Amino acid sequence: MTKLTVAVALCLGLMSGTAFAASAWTGGDDLPTSPLSCDGAAAAPAAKPYDGAEPSSAPDRAGKNITVVDIPKLIGIGYFNATSKGIQEAATELGNVEAKTDGPTKANIDEQITFIDNYITSGVDGILFAANDPVAIAPVLKKALSKGILVVGYDANSTPDARQWFVNQAEFNGIAKSLLDNMAKEIGEDGAFAIVTSTFTTPNQARWIAEMAAYAAACHPKMKWLETVEAQEDNNLSFNQATTLINKHGDELKGIFGMTSVATPASAEAVTQAGKCGQIAVVGLATPNAMKPYVEKDCVKSVVLWNPVDLGYAALQVMRAVADQSLKPGATTVKAGKLGDLQVINGSEILLGPPFTFTKENIGQFDF
Amino acid sequence: MSTAAAVLPVGRSAVRRFLAAYGQEIVVLSSIVALFLVVGSVNPRFLSDTNINSIFAGNAYIAVAAIGMSMVIISGHIDVSVGSLIGVIATIAGTLAVSGYPVWAAWLVPVLFAVAVNASVGALVAYTRIPSIVVTLGMLSILKGGLISATAGAWITDMPAEFMIAQKRIFGIASPVYFMVVLTIAAALFMRYSDFGRAVYAVGGNIEAARAAGLNPERTVVGVFALHGLFAGIAGLLFATQLQVIQSTVPPNLELTVITASVIGGVSILGGTGTVIGSTLAAILFAAIGSSLIFLNVSAYWLRAVLGLMILATVLADMARRRRAV
Amino acid sequence: MTASGLLRHESVLAALIILALAILAMLSDRFFTPENLLNQGRLMAEVGLVALAMTFVIVTGGIDLSVGSILGLTAILFGVFWQNVGMPLPVAMLAAVASGTLAGLGNGLIITRFSVPPLIATLATLALYRGLAEGISQARSVRGYPEWFFFFGQGEVLGVPFQLWVLAIATAVCAIILGLTPFGRATYAIGANETAARFSGIRVSATKLWIYAGAGFLAALAAIIFVSRVTTTRSDMGTGLELDVITGVVLGGTSIFGGRGTIVGTALGLVLIQALKNGLALSGVKGDGTIVVIGVVLIVAILVSAIIDRNRGG
Repeated sequence: MTKLTVAVALCLGLMSGTAFAASAWTGGDDLPTSPLSCDGAAAAPAAKPYDGAEPSSAPDRAGKNITVVDIPKLIGIGYFNATSKGIQEAATELGNVEAKTDGPTKANIDEQITFIDNYITSGVDGILFAANDPVAIAPVLKKALSKGILVVGYDANSTPDARQWFVNQAEFNGIAKSLLDNMAKEIGEDGAFAIVTSTFTTPNQARWIAEMAAYAAACHPKMKWLETVEAQEDNNLSFNQATTLINKHGDELKGIFGMTSVATPASAEAVTQAGKCGQIAVVGLATPNAMKPYVEKDCVKSVVLWNPVDLGYAALQVMRAVADQSLKPGATTVKAGKLGDLQVINGSEILLGPPFTFTKENIGQFDF
Repeated sequence: MSTAAAVLPVGRSAVRRFLAAYGQEIVVLSSIVALFLVVGSVNPRFLSDTNINSIFAGNAYIAVAAIGMSMVIISGHIDVSVGSLIGVIATIAGTLAVSGYPVWAAWLVPVLFAVAVNASVGALVAYTRIPSIVVTLGMLSILKGGLISATAGAWITDMPAEFMIAQKRIFGIASPVYFMVVLTIAAALFMRYSDFGRAVYAVGGNIEAARAAGLNPERTVVGVFALHGLFAGIAGLLFATQLQVIQSTVPPNLELTVITASVIGGVSILGGTGTVIGSTLAAILFAAIGSSLIFLNVSAYWLRAVLGLMILATVLADMARRRRAV
Repeated sequence: MTASGLLRHESVLAALIILALAILAMLSDRFFTPENLLNQGRLMAEVGLVALAMTFVIVTGGIDLSVGSILGLTAILFGVFWQNVGMPLPVAMLAAVASGTLAGLGNGLIITRFSVPPLIATLATLALYRGLAEGISQARSVRGYPEWFFFFGQGEVLGVPFQLWVLAIATAVCAIILGLTPFGRATYAIGANETAARFSGIRVSATKLWIYAGAGFLAALAAIIFVSRVTTTRSDMGTGLELDVITGVVLGGTSIFGGRGTIVGTALGLVLIQALKNGLALSGVKGDGTIVVIGVVLIVAILVSAIIDRNRGG
């Protein structure tokens, strides 16, 4: 009976495996994709009418001190440490904003919603958020708006009608293009690669993978996707999963994509310990501190990311601009302190800028 | 069912007795062998020495932690805070190493810390009769919250190479494997042949009978928790030095994995039976299953379901075997 | 356990709650407002419903670690039934709740038919049910429910959130069952001494099956409410729920060894935890600090209770 169960389980697993292998890469979502053009000229983002929400009867906060709370997906990981740092920098610079970061200890909507709810009750002036799920977070954000609280998102969006503005680190298709172009440069146009992601239900990662699949189909059709594995936000698990991939595919595996700031250093470590530096390329999103050992040893050539400190900084600057009413619906740019003018795209998104590539030359200058 | 696995049941032939007493360990060992054979025939790379080394070395820390956990469960208690503790240990070790303290201090201090914390938990459990699940549930929160407050998940990098104990190799095999094997054998012998080991089984089996027999259950419980702290500390060091960077957070779900390894390995949750060899074998089995599911191209979306089914199957098989043996 | 013994722990707890409420109200003037309190009631509905069932489970000396996974599975099935299978929404709701109950029944069967200890059985189903949720959903969410559906999680009846009514009624029903019916007495008997219970004619297996199925049912109900509250389904819903529930139940005086515990105690335990989480947040303590406080409160509360027990010669 036990054997039967195990056999059934394996059959299930194998069947489903082959059944879904035919579709787009595992780990991508099913929303429409819009791959960029292959030759690098980024098309100007289309101008859309403002589609964000408005708080109802928000008090006039222009020029006044405001309290802002930042509620990221989770606290306790380096990436949101960095965004929090940026927020604090902006707060110090502005002088009339009191900001603090608080959030759940695991990337779950259940708890994040409760945190936001508590801060609504405590009467903050503004909420910055990075959503664990765009739709699930909407009801509580709308509640905040209905109480006159300002709502600005960053890193991970909610549905547009639940927040006023969203500071976007980079467009999904832009990141997909950067990652794939960098990988193609390192492993060639017919190399095979695998992906290490956090979970298949993390919205940003799922979008990136879906966009990567579309871009690869259009511009790097001979590159071969092998598989995607999940590793949550666990460093050691990511390492073990990446090692398993290396062991399983042997020489066929030429590159690994790390989709989170935890997966990329862990994959680099796996490649290092397997003695395959230079034979397997690791391309991914990561914070510079975690990648320094590998970049310095030339195991990883380039790390793609935006600057999360800048992202947090910009988010708070936007919040201040909204409070001062210097940023209104319909605006096309917003002044964000030392970052200068940032562009408004897609109606209510504010683009941080092009992705930043950390290399051996510049990685030493950053500390986050 | 015999109440102390250290004693073989009397009566039947020696082979039968051995099988009856170590039944679950044998089931797990056979499963490991069967798994390697099946997956190896589907994808021979599964049996390559790099892969086998990865499976064993990458997950040895779980087996080491499971040694301590098994002892605690045998004594009739449980510890759900071991994952948080390991996260804290790793952070302390890494921070000490990076701050210029001598390597032996970076190794020793965290382990002592783990022993101290768990001994306190043990004392609380033993002398106030609060159920261990309650104390360790509270401890889990305290350690996790404390760790995040202190570090906010900062990365620890640039640790000195001599500190990286898990990356040292002897005869080409990574050191965690040696730790796992040596500690398991040492613990198994200790549990079976030492007075303390027998006391742990006795206390787990029937605490009042143990007391009546002249043992001091309270001291035994404190001792077993302290030992558990020792193993958790070592596991934390192995965990910390596996990669060149430490993410100073609590590894998610680690306590569940460790507890599962212990109980699948034959340690009865009712206390009083089971061996640490079983839990080490089970930890290896889990690591192997995790790897094999990827090798077998099981759809990534169904991975956890298949894992759950396998745990269930192993458990049901064990229950069926116990019924037949009784 | 005598009635006076039970009362002792509940009184300690009630005292703690009053103390906590007073301190928290002093620390923040937004804590003790009807709006906030009702809102907290809304937020604790899911944990509350599951905790009611968990009380029964722990009183029998068992445990159920898979309730969070059942919640996630039910949520996914609900979306799948409505969107992929095409059932009308009310039918999908019923089918989903039925599925969750079946999942709980599955736990019960493994525990009674195969004599697997509850900890191990539900450890396995924790992984299995969560895995089923992930596999069936293929990491997709189901959204776009009609407006009327959001009433369950976001609506109000007479100014009180809908799910709080559901929780209140469920609490009353469970309290009556556990405290005043033969089924309840059987539950206590099983927890106190299962063999003796069996010999005194109590149908132990049937009782346990009902209890674990009930856990599945309440987890499924919580899932529907949760989906209604957040307007979407995700396969990771309910992760970690079991620890929160067990903390609440144990804090409420239910003994992990079985045979002792009340619904009132569980309710008090949950109220204390929710009050702490909310009150501390309102007074400026961050999430990590709150976790530490709750851990300490758990240990201290049980410690105090145990000491009082000891001093009374109990």
